[in-house]
Amino acid sequence: MTTTSTAGRGTGRPGPRVSPSRGLVERLRPLLMVLASVGVFVLLWQFLSTFVLNPYMIPPPTAVAAAFVPMAETGEIFKHVTVSLVRVVIGFVLGSALAIVVGVVMGRMRVVYELLDPIIEFLRYLSPTAMIPIAVIWFGIGENSKYFLIFWGTFFFVLINTVAGVMRTPVARQRAAQCLGASEFQIFIFVVIPSAVPYIVTGMRVAMASSFMSIIPAEMLAADSGLGYLLQTAGMLVQTDRIFVALATISLLGFITDRLFRLLVDRTLSRYMAFVAAN
Amino acid sequence: MLKVERVTKVYGEQEASYLALEDIAIDIADGEFLCLLGPSGCGKTTLLNILAGFESVTRGRVTLDGRDIRGPGQDRVMFFQDAGSALFPWLTVEENVVFGLKLRGTPVRERGAIIDRYLAMVELDTHRGKFPTQLSGGMRQRLQIARALAIEPQILLMDEPFAALDALTRRRMHSFLVDIWQQTQKTIVFVTHDISESILLADRIAIMGVGPGSRFEDVIRVDLPRPRDPGDPAFGEIYRRIERQLALEESKLGDGV
Repeated sequence: MTTTSTAGRGTGRPGPRVSPSRGLVERLRPLLMVLASVGVFVLLWQFLSTFVLNPYMIPPPTAVAAAFVPMAETGEIFKHVTVSLVRVVIGFVLGSALAIVVGVVMGRMRVVYELLDPIIEFLRYLSPTAMIPIAVIWFGIGENSKYFLIFWGTFFFVLINTVAGVMRTPVARQRAAQCLGASEFQIFIFVVIPSAVPYIVTGMRVAMASSFMSIIPAEMLAADSGLGYLLQTAGMLVQTDRIFVALATISLLGFITDRLFRLLVDRTLSRYMAFVAAN
Repeated sequence: MLKVERVTKVYGEQEASYLALEDIAIDIADGEFLCLLGPSGCGKTTLLNILAGFESVTRGRVTLDGRDIRGPGQDRVMFFQDAGSALFPWLTVEENVVFGLKLRGTPVRERGAIIDRYLAMVELDTHRGKFPTQLSGGMRQRLQIARALAIEPQILLMDEPFAALDALTRRRMHSFLVDIWQQTQKTIVFVTHDISESILLADRIAIMGVGPGSRFEDVIRVDLPRPRDPGDPAFGEIYRRIERQLALEESKLGDGV
């Protein structure tokens, strides 16, 4: 704990610290355990769907892999992944950006909060899925309706967390800044917003996960591309192996995106996140 | 000179109102170390917040060198018990001190010397790259002191700053604070509910009664030489005198309930 960079580790899980002198096995243990977990799961799945269950209902991993190969060779799967990913990212960025701006103002200005909060309390129960029909009518079947739906799903998560983060900025910290000579505006910019960062990031992570959940029904009901569309067509043709390829891809994509987001936060915002772990 | 003239503080209005302070008056000399001592809920912190300018008075006046206190200012720095909240956790030790210097408009080339001086004074100069979460409780409080001193205030307002620390660290912080006070000649107003702490530190101890309408029950001058020894019979005598006074307050509280 001699370098400043260790503060950034606060966002990671508090794993046991292992000195380099310990065995290689000990250091690779987390990775090995993940491989063991996945390996056992896949083997068990293979066994059960070959010998016990109906392989047509639950195709074994080998069959899923066999279905995946041609989809990868033609580039079909990557096309769907790219389409869905772009939709999620655009909707997510727009939703987060507006939510942060509105959220910090709501959290700081009481009258704005009082005016907007009742409306938000109503609207936030409308899931993106519930908004699909009206989104299609408003924006058509193309990209804009998807952006809107992801935006919708992201906005409320990030907004509510941002407002909470701004409101929970410790009074002592604001008063300390005031004593040091900060104006109201300076307190807002240099104290309140940095204090709210961990809350905002948490809201964004939840929103990111929910975006991957809401893009699927949107694409199933109203799209001609994307992973949801792939899932829908495979379902209509009762191609269970292709359904499983789509499902596995969605999981993997969500997982990788979340890791990337955390990595990005660790690289850029770690000093603002440090105190979350310490409390 | 910090002058408190017949200050009364009422919270709320009409029937729902609460009389927190009634007719508080005291003159605090430059360079004086004053402790506000009293049971919890007696309005010590309210008075401190008024001195800081965070809260306004209902009646009366508070002036610093003849000027009315209308809000917080860099001449009076408040010092909080919960250093974890009061510090900026995303800034390093050094950056926490720089924060106030920037706001004050201290030229960049002068900052280095000021930072060096005050971080050395609180013995944090070897930890300047650390974040507050990497510091112990005592170190965080010392960082608060350095951050406050760096903007060169006239007055330090301290709200039970050491109450959350363990006994050993507290004792170290006491001698620390007295050293710094003697070096810098600041006026200190220090809130505490700990009798020993007040006798260890203060030139004068203002004992506050229980609310509602608490006022100064007694103001005691402590003329013992520093560093003070709690084993000193004179120390014990003052202790017992204050204890009797506070017991009287306790019994008042008992009657009321």
